[in-house]
Amino acid sequence: MLARARTFTLEGLNARAVSVEIDIRPGLPAFAIVGLADAAVREARDRVHAALLNSGFEFPARRITANLAPADVPKIGPGFDLALACGILAASGQIPSELLDTHALFGELSLDGEVRACHGTLAVAEATKKAGLAMLVLSPQRAREATLVEGLPVSVVEHLSSAARVLSGGSGDQLPEQSRAQPSIPRHGPDLSDVRGQTHAVKALIVAAAGAHNSLLSGSPGTGKTMLAGRLPSILPPLERSEAIEVMRIHSATGKLTGGELLTERPFRAPHHTITTAGLIGGSRRGWVGEAVLAHNGVLFLDELSEFARPTLEALRQPLEDGRVSIVRARHSAIYPARFMLIAATNPCPCGYAGERERCACREVDLARHRRRLSGPLLDRIDLLVHVERTAADYLADGPSMSSAQAREQVIEARQRQARRLRADGILVNAQMDAPMLRRHLKLDRQGEQMMARARERGLLSARGQHRALRVARTLADLDGCERVGGEQISRALTLRPEVGLAGRRAA
Amino acid sequence: MSGICQECARRAWLLAKLGGQLDRELERHDQSSFWSVLELPDLELVDAIARNRRTELHTAYADWQPASRCRDEQPQALCRHHAAYPRHLRDDALSPHSFELRGGVERLRELLEEKVVAIVGTRTASDYGMEVARELARGLATCGITVASDFAEGTSSAVLAGALEADGAPLAVMSKSVERCTPAWRAPLCRHVLERGCLIAESHASSRARRWWQYASARTLALLAQLVIVVEATDEPCDLACANVAFSRARHVAAVPGRVSSASSKGANRLLMNGAHLVRGPQDALDVLYGLGICEATNQALGAIDLQPRLADVLELVSRGQDTPAKLAASGAHTDDVAVALAELELCGLLARGDGGRYVPCGSVLAR
Repeated sequence: MLARARTFTLEGLNARAVSVEIDIRPGLPAFAIVGLADAAVREARDRVHAALLNSGFEFPARRITANLAPADVPKIGPGFDLALACGILAASGQIPSELLDTHALFGELSLDGEVRACHGTLAVAEATKKAGLAMLVLSPQRAREATLVEGLPVSVVEHLSSAARVLSGGSGDQLPEQSRAQPSIPRHGPDLSDVRGQTHAVKALIVAAAGAHNSLLSGSPGTGKTMLAGRLPSILPPLERSEAIEVMRIHSATGKLTGGELLTERPFRAPHHTITTAGLIGGSRRGWVGEAVLAHNGVLFLDELSEFARPTLEALRQPLEDGRVSIVRARHSAIYPARFMLIAATNPCPCGYAGERERCACREVDLARHRRRLSGPLLDRIDLLVHVERTAADYLADGPSMSSAQAREQVIEARQRQARRLRADGILVNAQMDAPMLRRHLKLDRQGEQMMARARERGLLSARGQHRALRVARTLADLDGCERVGGEQISRALTLRPEVGLAGRRAA
Repeated sequence: MSGICQECARRAWLLAKLGGQLDRELERHDQSSFWSVLELPDLELVDAIARNRRTELHTAYADWQPASRCRDEQPQALCRHHAAYPRHLRDDALSPHSFELRGGVERLRELLEEKVVAIVGTRTASDYGMEVARELARGLATCGITVASDFAEGTSSAVLAGALEADGAPLAVMSKSVERCTPAWRAPLCRHVLERGCLIAESHASSRARRWWQYASARTLALLAQLVIVVEATDEPCDLACANVAFSRARHVAAVPGRVSSASSKGANRLLMNGAHLVRGPQDALDVLYGLGICEATNQALGAIDLQPRLADVLELVSRGQDTPAKLAASGAHTDDVAVALAELELCGLLARGDGGRYVPCGSVLAR
């Protein structure tokens, strides 16, 4: 007999429909799976065999062939177990086969027949709806994730026998508590009120958060660069629903999603500086995504930027420019979203004390080498350079200058202004404005025009540097609630520009 | 080498043979003794320092033959007996017997026709030292002075860059061959200098770098210049070699005062104690060269700037060492106001951003 079940395999972050065809015919007992299955799928034979027997079903002692179509698409992961088992049950006449064609089955089986969750449930749920199937049958652990897809009926099955009941026309198991996905409660991470002094750096951090500007924190060791960066998530606005779904799709496909609630907090990824290019960008093996992709719609924090390998940093150019990572390997290619806000921290020189007069022991060649590690296209994509200074002792005894809640309020207001202005262009933040958008959305008053002209005359800004300064000035105006960008905002933007100081001018 | 007579080529060969002994002389004796040794004629030099190699070197010296192949390509070489050899150097026994030149004889002649001011300093200069050196070079080059420096890192880079910024034609005295810029990362500066100025270096018939070459380039620089200005220098002999030679030849020596607690200013401060002129900006240097008030430094910025009191206050604070936004804000000003003032002062050319987010007074502030 022949039975056909419907399931999905992951291709990058998307799910692709797979038809599981089971053929049972007389012959020596055997169970073969064909259709470019990976090791996890091939091992399904033993899991399915044991699960069927331990669930009180019969495993046909005949020749069983399972074909995963289309045959040219690689099938990965253990999510085919449930479809294979149900296909065998239908082909052997133990359950009716009518509903198999309209229900998507997705889950791994334990040896006792329990249905376990698999990575990529959200992508599978979206693909199920897109394929027009009547229902998605899956384990309870990932039910919340699947219910994020509006209008998709989900049937929860804890055990293989429950799946058989559903396919026989019965009902599934009880949906877990909070079956419909609710926004997650924001966690209480480190707060900006922990920071003492650093008024200039805190303000710059708010500007960076408000406009989603890529920023570089530079300062001597122990000045609080990492502390400040660690508090950035607490002042970022919550994820919008569409952004949250994108983030959850990535984290679900990579198995990093812990709950099924709708995420509200933006991802904050802080890889160690020994990370490889594949670790940062992805592509070491099929389906592997890097930290840049995991930071999508959030923050990628690179501490000790100068210690990262140069090729690794260079690999960030494409995502910083296009907001996506395109990975092409010999047998597969994939495009992942990677629109993140880059926050980097570095010492100003190899010894860490550049500018602190006698304390810096670096020679010009050391500084040049340090700049070479940082400079180039990556620095060209950084909007803000924030110098973090050593806090005076008397400041440490002072109260906090601002709490995260206060800062977040300012950031949200500024982002709302940006969204209203930029939504028609398909972007939400100033950092994503290109030159034509800048011309459309940025109106300078007379003083602002004069200051930009003087900055150009004095050679303080390159052509790209002007755009960066204008984007930052626009964000400052949004924070100030101004429609036009004035001289004051331009001045403040110029003090935050990332052009290097005297050191950069040394060698002419 | 074209432009070098056999006698001077043999001298270069001899110095290459005695390179190790000359380095040892530097280690064992003070600089004045070293200069005395370097002034000696060839065979006396062998007798003075060659020790157990005397006989060997005497024989080799007698049998010396010029290299069979002459290189006609760049760099050009000049010796004491060449008509184009600078007259500044010709009459001094300490001057190099021969040197390599890039930039052309005619251009070198033009550069040396003007007053030459050598600006030197430490390789590990602070932001302040770099900016002062740059401004001095810029100011003097604007007045048509030939600005000279060695080609070391640190202060010299700022000097050459400052002279180039003022469209001046700098003269760089390198310690190694001018044929190839080492280290390679300084090649752009080398190229920029050659666009308008000249590079010279004493001819060394050896590819192995010697420590005394640095001193030799400092000596050449001192002999070429009418005024030597030391910006920031430690009290290490190599930092003060140029000034010491200038002192010994009764040339003008000037120094920029530094902080008394700063190790990188010890040398400059000591020169001031020993009678060097005090230089705060290009005008002071011009006064030393031409006499008080004879020549006015071209003041490019101050005349046009009507500084508002709030900006003047911030500039004053920065000059006093409150040179970061945080330090300025600590004096009571609002962070945003400080940022605005700093940007405006930078646009006026009165401040420049230094390492570590510090602001350094520059331009006409130094000249005041």
